[in-house]
Amino acid sequence: MKKHSIASALVAAAALCAAGAAQAQVAGQVMVKIGWNKIMPKVRSTELSPPALPGSTIDIKSASALFLTATYMITDNISAEFLGGLPYKHDIIGTGSVMGVGKIGSIHQISPTVLLEYRFMPADAPLRPYVGAGPTFAKFYGSKGSAALTAVTNPGGSPTTIGGDTEWGATLAAGANYKIDKNWFVDAAIFKTFINTKAQLSTGQTTKARLNPVSINASIGYAF
Amino acid sequence: MKKFHVLTTALAAAAFLAGCGGNEAGDQSPRVAFTAMVSFGDSLSDVGSYDVGVVKAQGGGHYSINGIGATGLLWTNWTEFLAATLKLPVPCAAEKGLTPLAPYVPSLGDETPTFYDASTGGSCLDYAQGGSRVTAPVGPGNAALVVPGVTSTYSNAIGQLTVPVITQIGNYLAHNGGTFSDKQLVTVLAGGNDLFMNVAIFQAQVAGGQDPTVAATAAVTAMGQAGGELAAYVNQMILAKGATHVVVVNLPDVSLTPYAIASGASGQALVKQMAVTFNTQLQKGLTAGASLVYVDAFTASEDQATNMAQYGLTNVTTPACDLTVVGSSLLCTKATLIPALAPSSASAPATAANTYEYADSVHPTPYGYRLLSELVGEQMAIKGWL
Repeated sequence: MKKHSIASALVAAAALCAAGAAQAQVAGQVMVKIGWNKIMPKVRSTELSPPALPGSTIDIKSASALFLTATYMITDNISAEFLGGLPYKHDIIGTGSVMGVGKIGSIHQISPTVLLEYRFMPADAPLRPYVGAGPTFAKFYGSKGSAALTAVTNPGGSPTTIGGDTEWGATLAAGANYKIDKNWFVDAAIFKTFINTKAQLSTGQTTKARLNPVSINASIGYAF
Repeated sequence: MKKFHVLTTALAAAAFLAGCGGNEAGDQSPRVAFTAMVSFGDSLSDVGSYDVGVVKAQGGGHYSINGIGATGLLWTNWTEFLAATLKLPVPCAAEKGLTPLAPYVPSLGDETPTFYDASTGGSCLDYAQGGSRVTAPVGPGNAALVVPGVTSTYSNAIGQLTVPVITQIGNYLAHNGGTFSDKQLVTVLAGGNDLFMNVAIFQAQVAGGQDPTVAATAAVTAMGQAGGELAAYVNQMILAKGATHVVVVNLPDVSLTPYAIASGASGQALVKQMAVTFNTQLQKGLTAGASLVYVDAFTASEDQATNMAQYGLTNVTTPACDLTVVGSSLLCTKATLIPALAPSSASAPATAANTYEYADSVHPTPYGYRLLSELVGEQMAIKGWL
């Protein structure tokens, strides 16, 4: 319900502002985008710490979610962009000696990011490629365990849960936008984020995972 | 600028939405909705076949450290850990009793063997009994081994029923309509008592002057035969009778137990060869397929011994129970542990025992059984059953 009302507010805000005339991507300009982002973690996890079946590692599967950004043009070429969106839900699967166990749980994640970007080409060019870099803050929460996870960590006992963590990382971005008319544009980008996390089971074991996801996204934007 | 602030605030709010969700258990139901667990085998799967008479009076019945929560764990035997994982009722012994030993030794408060399965309106389905062999009816602890005036070779010769696995399965079939269902988990773990009996025969033959090599070969051959027989029973009496979820656990590496360690390097080598031969013939004989999970407890037990810390173990060579007080773990409780593992008070759990693999010379502590249930759970999950 709350999610819905905020999304509505954003749409309403965009519609209200649509009345004003604007130039494309000049200093002082504000732009918003809405789109779809897919995060593909490239996981390398350490073995679950003892006591545990040996060689138990995890993989975290890709997830997609609605993606929202706001960009402020500091100069005609330099911009600051805030990336947010709805939470991502990743499946966690067993690997290593527990390969084939399948899904052992899931975890939610949000990773708001701020990018400082450089936009090539003149401000009024229809196609403007850009590169960017900036910090990413990731919060892992809302995990779910499974019968299989409990069976290998606390058989016959209370269900095992997965504790998330908060982490800072860094994101590099490359993308381009294409102007449709004076207000609307489309945008596509690829991100590489460097981030590690540590998951702790309620039974005490931990695993450190290097996530380093690649993200791809496509969105439609509006320049005010 | 104002527009920008409003938007970033809204976006930040959206980004953090639901960021407060807690960590949940998730779906704890196994992928197969099992309705019952049926177990066949020996002491390693026995949940109280001899929990009568003096055994019951002393708080025993499991071949481990007895008493609910004795070491702070919820269960004692691996079948109990597994049943709880599968949301099934606590397993109970399908047949209980002790054979009278009198007049050879004083009565132990024996009890006529009685079934607690469907044949008497009960629902107990754990047919495994301490001392049971694969085919031969007399195993360790059986009254037939008690010789008048001679202390038994077997420390726990208390009149154990030792119904062999072939008869256990036969009893199940006779009492349950002759079939298994596709919603039952059937577990089989046996062979240890064939090993102990054949070692005893080997020792008697060598003591009687027979060539040790010939005697050893006979012992190993007998184990191979027992393994092959067990495979045949699983194929013909379980898989062919409608069971679609069968877990066969092979014989752990008995050469690493305190029992074998006491016999020295040559004894350990023979025991290992016997266990390996049993497992080889067992695995070779089993009909592999979608209905069978073969759990390699042998390899796991070796890994537990060499990589203790990985499993949270600190002792894999000496018993947790004080065997000068209780001859077998069948009677062991937290009150009869070695002094180093004694609980801080009579009401406290003996948690220190959770770092020991063995309760007595061959049987695991509750923690050791839990490790076995984790291994079985892992293999069942890989199979898609859990």
